[in-house]
Amino acid sequence: MIDSADPRRSKGDHQATEIIGQIAKALTEATGLLLAPQRAGPLLRKLVSDKLRITFEQRHLYSYTQTTRLSEETLNALLRWLFHAQRPDGGIAAYYSLLTGYSESYPEVTGYIIPTLYDFARSTDNSGAVVVAQRSARWLLSLQMSTGAFPGGLHTGLHPSQMQPSVFNTGQILQGLVRAHAETKRSQILQAAIGAGDWLVRMQQPDGSWSGPGAYQNAPHTYYSMVAWALALLSEEVSDDRYGIAAERNLDWVLSHFRPGGWIDGINLRGHPNYLHFIAYVLQGVLECGILRRRNHAIQSVAKSAWTLLRKFETNKYLAGAYDTEFKRGAHFTCLTGNAQMSCVWLRLFEMTSDLRYLNAALKINEMLKELIPTGGGQGIAGGVTGSYPIWGPYQPLRYISWGCKFLADALLLEGRLTQSLEASTFGALQCAS
Amino acid sequence: MAVRMAELGHVPTGALALSTLNRGTLLRKLKQWGMHEVVRYAKAKLLPQIGHQRGRAAGNPYLDPLLKHEHGSFRSLREVAAGYGFPLAFCHDQNSSESIAHLQEWAPDLIIFTGGNILRQQVLDLPGLGVLNVHLALLPQIRGMSTPEWSLLNHVPVGITIHCMDAGIDTGPVLQGYELPEVARCESLSDLRNRLIAFGVEKTGDVVEGLVRGTISANPQSDTAPDNQFFVMHEWLQARAAERLMANHRAPTTGAVHE
Repeated sequence: MIDSADPRRSKGDHQATEIIGQIAKALTEATGLLLAPQRAGPLLRKLVSDKLRITFEQRHLYSYTQTTRLSEETLNALLRWLFHAQRPDGGIAAYYSLLTGYSESYPEVTGYIIPTLYDFARSTDNSGAVVVAQRSARWLLSLQMSTGAFPGGLHTGLHPSQMQPSVFNTGQILQGLVRAHAETKRSQILQAAIGAGDWLVRMQQPDGSWSGPGAYQNAPHTYYSMVAWALALLSEEVSDDRYGIAAERNLDWVLSHFRPGGWIDGINLRGHPNYLHFIAYVLQGVLECGILRRRNHAIQSVAKSAWTLLRKFETNKYLAGAYDTEFKRGAHFTCLTGNAQMSCVWLRLFEMTSDLRYLNAALKINEMLKELIPTGGGQGIAGGVTGSYPIWGPYQPLRYISWGCKFLADALLLEGRLTQSLEASTFGALQCAS
Repeated sequence: MAVRMAELGHVPTGALALSTLNRGTLLRKLKQWGMHEVVRYAKAKLLPQIGHQRGRAAGNPYLDPLLKHEHGSFRSLREVAAGYGFPLAFCHDQNSSESIAHLQEWAPDLIIFTGGNILRQQVLDLPGLGVLNVHLALLPQIRGMSTPEWSLLNHVPVGITIHCMDAGIDTGPVLQGYELPEVARCESLSDLRNRLIAFGVEKTGDVVEGLVRGTISANPQSDTAPDNQFFVMHEWLQARAAERLMANHRAPTTGAVHE
């Protein structure tokens, strides 16, 4: 997701800027097709195939209980997509648009793709993934601002001093830096991570949230639990509890937004629906931070929300791309990234609780996602994850997005690790949490 | 089930069967599943019928003794209805007005529902003694789908529960629960299911007799929390359940009764 902030703008300015921005975006995208008419073929093919599929093949879960595509094949395809998305500067593109091609490098995603690259390398002995991760880390170091923060938005070539700092993006990049340091032990990376962590602690509000300068739309957001997760990781890596305490302060603030039915308030994105991607961000951040900080209440709160979504998935046969408050009404499209993130949440909850229903739901949603990954179509398309299914859905329309690949790769890596360890074990120790 | 009831002297006042291979069902499944899955579904539905017509063993072998009569074996519900002289109607949906009209005409004291769908309150309210269902697991521990497999994976004894249906999913009051004896003799998951179905038919007869004599009554479930609901199982976990079943090969058990 694209998260940039300018603290000097008023609410009215923000709205006007957003409208102008959307018009400019639409014009740029349309112009992209005029400049590269060869993209019309793949665009039309994808539009027609999604239309045919949603009209004549409304698959439901009974069809996704069987494996038709191997997870390893899909994982390799996803990683190939990410390798190709690395730009000459070393950053990973945010997306491949069917209208405009690859975007510029995107610092946020480049950061939190690093752990995925190392996990893939470890799981498959793929040294190419390590090379991509190292190039990514080098590029990120060149972007760090003197305050320790990292900039928001796409990289447009500006000098760091001219860019706007972003709390969320700094947190996401911090995840990558912590992992890169754990893998390489390079002191330069460690210093960058500590600088980013210190800036995040300085920017935190007394209530534990991040708002005002550096926060998207200047407002606090519960999905910044992902930042708390990054701080908890840093705390473990450098054995400094200051970062862990800051992470827990945010965790407490986010947990105060969980409703008894599992809904989470405070996603708070003006002008956007509650996309599943952000709901899942909240859950992932709280869950991982809760695990690292040994906060059972956090894990239980996530389990409640995740169970509500699991029941929706199992009974409605899909997860909606966006939900109204209390998960009451779902939008009629699917956010594939959100699905992959929920798969990660369910798999981690299975790991924490041994409740096999989480694993079952994750296996099924992974089958569905694997079937939606194109096997052909050239660079930018083959192995890519679209923002929405169908591709014209409102979340990142007509784009294959790098963070979609990242989260589905995470889900498949996790699936592989857990199923292998279950097969190796007696399986007898498992029980359902209920 | 109809034969078992008739043999006990409770000849059904009518039987309502869901037609599985009609145009509407196939078109709906084509839209939901796509062509590949529909062909597989049609094959699964058609091949046992073809096998049966050619005189080969088909369906559930544990029901064969029950289906035997002095001139041979019943091969379909149509033959059972003709043999015992009760009306048989086909429908596309158990909750349709057409189905409800049949049920109102037959005015049964009790409905035994052998399908897996949810019934509307209008249907549930029709018979005075309620709508019975054989659930292929012990309640309240395992509700929902793929229940024998979930029982195996969760160390819950494999069995059946005969309960009165209500608006929820397997949440109605329990009449009787039974553990399946000789689980260790099962050769596969499908063998386990066949044994459970035949066991359910046999025990439903016992429960109906108990209801008639007034020796069995329905008890509300101790726990109807949604947390006990299970869903269709992915094939990877099914394979683990099958491994568990095979690992459990041991001396036959007697089978306990859960009241």
